[in-house]
Amino acid sequence: MELNSIINIKDLHFAYSKNRILDGIDFNINHGEVISLLGPNGCGKSTLIRLILKLINFSHGEILINNKTIHNYSHKEIAQHIAYIPQYHNVPFNYTVLEMVMMGRISKLGFFATPSNKDREIAYESLKHIGIDNLSSRPFGQLSGGQKQMVLLARALTQEVNTFIMDEPVSGLDYGNQIRLLELISELSRQGYTFLKTTHYPDHALLVSSRVVVMNHGKIIANGKPHDVITTPMIQDVYGIGADLIEHGAHTRCLPIFNKGIQ
Amino acid sequence: MTHTKTFGILFAAIATLILLTVISLLWGQYPIDFATFMGYIDFKLFGGVGNDTYTLLDNIILQIRLPRILLAILIGASLAVSGAAFQAMFVNPLVSPGILGVLAGASFGAALGMLVSEQWYIVQALSFIFGFMAVAIAVLIGSMVTNSRSTIMLVLGGVISGSLFTALLSVIKYVADPYSTLPAIVYWLMGSLTMADLSGVLYVSIPMILSILGMIVLSKYFDLLSLGDEEAKALGVNVPLIRFSVIILATLASSLSVVMAGMIGWVGLIIPHIIRMAVGPSHRLLIPLSAIIGAIFLLLADSISRLAFSVEIPIGILTSLIGIPIFIIVLKNARAAWN
Repeated sequence: MELNSIINIKDLHFAYSKNRILDGIDFNINHGEVISLLGPNGCGKSTLIRLILKLINFSHGEILINNKTIHNYSHKEIAQHIAYIPQYHNVPFNYTVLEMVMMGRISKLGFFATPSNKDREIAYESLKHIGIDNLSSRPFGQLSGGQKQMVLLARALTQEVNTFIMDEPVSGLDYGNQIRLLELISELSRQGYTFLKTTHYPDHALLVSSRVVVMNHGKIIANGKPHDVITTPMIQDVYGIGADLIEHGAHTRCLPIFNKGIQ
Repeated sequence: MTHTKTFGILFAAIATLILLTVISLLWGQYPIDFATFMGYIDFKLFGGVGNDTYTLLDNIILQIRLPRILLAILIGASLAVSGAAFQAMFVNPLVSPGILGVLAGASFGAALGMLVSEQWYIVQALSFIFGFMAVAIAVLIGSMVTNSRSTIMLVLGGVISGSLFTALLSVIKYVADPYSTLPAIVYWLMGSLTMADLSGVLYVSIPMILSILGMIVLSKYFDLLSLGDEEAKALGVNVPLIRFSVIILATLASSLSVVMAGMIGWVGLIIPHIIRMAVGPSHRLLIPLSAIIGAIFLLLADSISRLAFSVEIPIGILTSLIGIPIFIIVLKNARAAWN
């Protein structure tokens, strides 16, 4: 066990009735890392995230958060260590952006306490940190997908924790916002935040991660530095398509091979 | 919304409610002028020389108007808060105690209680139990067809559950004594505040006020629960505990309103929508404000039923007649407020 690890997962198994989803997962999240979790649909990466957040219970294995078993954590205590940033979504009631961000403070409040002006300030500061304080009084429902995702990131900041878990953060965002969000994640990582994010894009994993974990059929099949893990054979193996790795500027990029273009 | 603004709105609403309460106390078939009223209050608080007028006022104010006004306030507050709470708990802006079948279930329970027992607390207990069964059946039907949370399926589940208990209620009516119990059940169900007596109102006010206060205390969690279970849990909320407690409190408050005054529909559905359109959906203001505005609405409706016509119209009929056109307007305009 490494001293600076935040989350340790040991021999984790999970199944829905008889359907095996996770089959012996071992993996650590260490302080300061940006981990990209890759894998095809149904490989178990969303399940893994939900298990770490205790949204579902596992049958066999162990998850430690700060060296303490997850069974001893309430949801409130988990929220005091890990912030979850879901894919942006619609809410049935049209809260303002500031109200939405203030909801991140709930884990800091006593059972009967109400949010104070200080909580309001923290929420406002988080919006500023992300650079969207101009949106604070806008209705959340009227924002673009990219703006919504930024607001959910600001909400995570108000939890005042160092570890963020993001579920496919760029999904549904337009081309520009995808890149802007990835840059924001890099920026927050430089400021000391730890990230675990799932993604469908090996290219994005190459751009923004310190480590890449690849899952397939409920198992981890690769775990290491981005350049070591994201290779042409790996992509062929996991996704069943060819891909080229190209040096471009300061980065290696991953381009899928496309054979049947319109002439 | 800042604290100052929140308190300002709540203060203005409470002041309006107090003003309306005083006006309702004075206004009626026997109008009381303000000076006489102040003299009476002075006499009540500090003693002094009584006279015949004060004896008459004792009768009119304490026996007739005050219990009725208090009951209107309690029931209006209970129904509006329960409606807002159900809407948040089920993440569904179209539900209310009426739509979920709670009022029908509670009516059946209370009628059953009247049939089998003369004990008041048995009537109340049965009303609550069947009110809760009605929600449970609505939720069960709503989740049976689709796994995911479906706005329309829960409404449909509530309609079915409500119909079930309305049918069972008909059975009770059918077997009830047509000369005594049946007319009592029928008039009580139409919704009426005329039966209110002060001790009965004070007795039922304790659980009602506690339920309302409970929901106000928990209202900071409502915003989070309306994001859906997983997100609320990930943000640190004990979702099952909060959701179950709030559903119990909302069911209790609305069932007791049925015991006291029959089925008063639409309040729980329209008041939260009107408030959302006016001040936004944040529940920390929506819930307490629903209590006050619900109270004002029912007090006004009761005053109309008392004063506007030569024959008193049952208030349940009146709230439906007022509520339906308001709800149509709300539906047309509300999309901006709840997407």
